[in-house]
Amino acid sequence: MSVPVAPFSHLSTLWVQVTGTWCNLQCVHCINSSGPTDPWLKSLDTETVKRHVMEAEALGVKEIYFTGGEPFLHQDILELLACSLRVAPSTVLTNGTRITEKTADALAALAGESLYSLEIRVSVDDIDPEANDRIRGKGAFDKAIRAIRLLHARGLLPILTATEILQGDGPEGNGMYQRFRDLLASVGVTKPRVKIIPVFPAGRLAQEGGARLTREMLQGFDFSLLQCTETRAVADGGVYSCPILAGLKEARLSEGSLEESFTPCRLYHPACVTCYQTGMTCRNF
Amino acid sequence: MEGEREYRRIAVFGGVYSNYLALEATLEDARRRDVEAIFCLGDMGAFGPHPDRVFPPLRQAGVLAIQGNYDDSLGAGKEDCGCGYTDPRDNFFARISYEYTFKNTSAENKAWLRTLPKHQRIRLGEHRVLMCHGSPRMLNEFLWESTTPNGLLEKFMRDYQAEVILCTHTGIKWHRALAGGRHLVNVGAIGRPENDGMTNVWCAILTADAGLQVEFVPVHYDHEALAREMEREGLPSEFVETVRTGWWTTCLEVLPAKERARGKY
Repeated sequence: MSVPVAPFSHLSTLWVQVTGTWCNLQCVHCINSSGPTDPWLKSLDTETVKRHVMEAEALGVKEIYFTGGEPFLHQDILELLACSLRVAPSTVLTNGTRITEKTADALAALAGESLYSLEIRVSVDDIDPEANDRIRGKGAFDKAIRAIRLLHARGLLPILTATEILQGDGPEGNGMYQRFRDLLASVGVTKPRVKIIPVFPAGRLAQEGGARLTREMLQGFDFSLLQCTETRAVADGGVYSCPILAGLKEARLSEGSLEESFTPCRLYHPACVTCYQTGMTCRNF
Repeated sequence: MEGEREYRRIAVFGGVYSNYLALEATLEDARRRDVEAIFCLGDMGAFGPHPDRVFPPLRQAGVLAIQGNYDDSLGAGKEDCGCGYTDPRDNFFARISYEYTFKNTSAENKAWLRTLPKHQRIRLGEHRVLMCHGSPRMLNEFLWESTTPNGLLEKFMRDYQAEVILCTHTGIKWHRALAGGRHLVNVGAIGRPENDGMTNVWCAILTADAGLQVEFVPVHYDHEALAREMEREGLPSEFVETVRTGWWTTCLEVLPAKERARGKY
């Protein structure tokens, strides 16, 4: 059976897998099995990232996102964010553990100098510290909340990002957003911002023989609902169809040129089913 | 391009959101400013009371309108406004607004909304002007000041062959001049104050002189009368609070960091 493909529309979002799968945490649901030892996907060097950012600017990119792994493990992350913010609104996805007062000061300075918004997304998976830490590792909750406080104190309005790993209810309701908004209010955040994403059958939760999309399922489907029609992810080894699949050989679309990656992409992975079913986007909104 | 009408001075507004009192005040203000034509960039309904009341003033004033996402949804009988919120609180309020507006918009006015084009092209002096609701490529794309890169605007102007792009959809006005006398103007909305603690709304006046002059004009209207009508219609108190205070209370998730930081909530 042939694999269905998603057409490419335009480059709206560039994802930069800046630290590959190098992370100081080892969450049980990580979509790309990031961790502290032997990352299977290498970090990107500073010049490579800058080159991609410049190419994306010329191609009319709308937003740039930095992810990993943990982006704040990259030695030049602040320099890279400064470069990115000269081009487009930029977002970092972080576990918050590396955000010190000094880092928060530097981020606030970058945000203040830029015409474009700087968004910091801090991952938390439960309002209960113990439940959260069973998923994300000991001490992860307190460090994430500390980061949120440091950023909030500097007017940066961080976005708490949670997966549905412990919640069992969808973005359509049942209190998940409100629980996290209440958590943020309880730690003094006056403009609580929450992003909920589904759990993907990828990385540490990958399943052998998971469901795949078929051409029949996609008949009459509005492809613009799939983020891979307007997203590309750069990671070690080339340009990939989306941030969930960045680094996977089957999702690679070019060896390094963004423009050459503007081709239809294969919807071959069980994670594609999650996007198809939920209409989710990895973007902030 | 050939066949485009040429103007020297125009008024442009967007996001009427059923606020017929602000619409009447805007049209009156525009008439006093010696404009040759008045344009509306869409979203006639939503948020406010008595949606049918905006159509007679729009027609009588000969406003040249294009379609917004709300107009598209109402005209086509879609299930929702196409705003695409994810937060259930925002969806809750969006649904109330859409169901009320759908129920209270006549079949005749829905039919009129279906006839509206999605783009409008004119000339302002030498400038080729493209009008759209969200962005040139998408009806419901948000072009906020802090999330619209210059590189993207350059691409739009190249791809759509325009030196000036006019849009709305976000509800907050902004203007950026690019090299070579090119401009992006988000004209904001006249239906809802723009989250700055002021109760007035905004309209844009564009004049082709040596270059292009862009002026945002504050429009004051009887917002208290609108608030009372919204209460009588049973619309959410959160909407009424926005009319009375100038601060947004709902649908905040779409605001980028810089724009959100300027609001109260």
